[in-house]
Amino acid sequence: MSPDDPDDVRQTDQNGAWDAFALVVSGVAVWGGVGWLVSEWLNSRAFLVLGLLVGMGAALYLVWVRYGKP
Amino acid sequence: MAESGFHSPGPADFDFPPLFGEGTFFTKPMLIVVLGTIAVGAFFYFAARRSTLVPGKLQFAGEAVYGFIRDGVARDTIGREGIKYVPYLVTVFSFLAVLNLSGIIPVLQLPATSKIAIPLFLAVISWIIYNYVGIKRQGFGGYFKNMMFPPGVPKAIYPLLAPLEFFSTFLVRPVTLTLRLTFNMFAGHLVLLLTILGGEYLLFEYQGVAGIAAGSVSILFSIVLTFFEGFVQILQAYVFVLLSAIYIGGALSHEH
Repeated sequence: MSPDDPDDVRQTDQNGAWDAFALVVSGVAVWGGVGWLVSEWLNSRAFLVLGLLVGMGAALYLVWVRYGKP
Repeated sequence: MAESGFHSPGPADFDFPPLFGEGTFFTKPMLIVVLGTIAVGAFFYFAARRSTLVPGKLQFAGEAVYGFIRDGVARDTIGREGIKYVPYLVTVFSFLAVLNLSGIIPVLQLPATSKIAIPLFLAVISWIIYNYVGIKRQGFGGYFKNMMFPPGVPKAIYPLLAPLEFFSTFLVRPVTLTLRLTFNMFAGHLVLLLTILGGEYLLFEYQGVAGIAAGSVSILFSIVLTFFEGFVQILQAYVFVLLSAIYIGGALSHEH
């Protein structure tokens, strides 16, 4: 997309607001899910917590990379 | 006080007996879908027929809906290419708006979209369109590469981010599209049922000073909520279409 096209700039802004939600949900679901599987396997709750936190962190980072920079 | 007591509304209120025959094929939601389809079709047919330079009332209404989606949704979110998708977006918007509004139309009084099959089916169509458009535009490999490997990220953390992006685009998007609409309609219908049926019960069966007072408040509140529901129903149809357009626009514009 060309940066000088006002249509495209507006588009990026709007996408950010909506897509951020899907990204955060997926982050927690994917890595929380992996963490849960590992917890079941190794019988330790810690991996679930770790997975949830890593997923949340990764998702927030991704939101920042995609939409946070001016 | 009545012996039976008040049965609070719940998910069972969304199960309907067949209107005729056996099984669960042709129920009330199904009837609303058929009526809604006819209504939308007739509206646009008569709005577009004999279109004149100076539009009549009906033509004006049809053009207002079309123009709103074309300028407010397609052009703003997809950009110049958006015009191609306007027919789909307008159709989905009108269809959803009518099926949602059936929740506050007297006699019908059930948002057909509170049955998950209807939003799910439309979400699947949107899902197919944005994936198809993305693959067509960027190539099969390019589409997945652009989706899963966003630029400006250190290579080391791609394993952490790629599955997340994939999951988000392929699963979370259609699921949230479906659930947002379904449960907005579901919850809205329950709230209306509760305030109206609860108010009626308090007024006519519980009675007494407390019953009459609380029942009146409940009935008055249900009127306010009916207007609010009308607003939510239009808004949710708009949100569904807006998100579909954003996904299509996103699939078209990844040129990194």
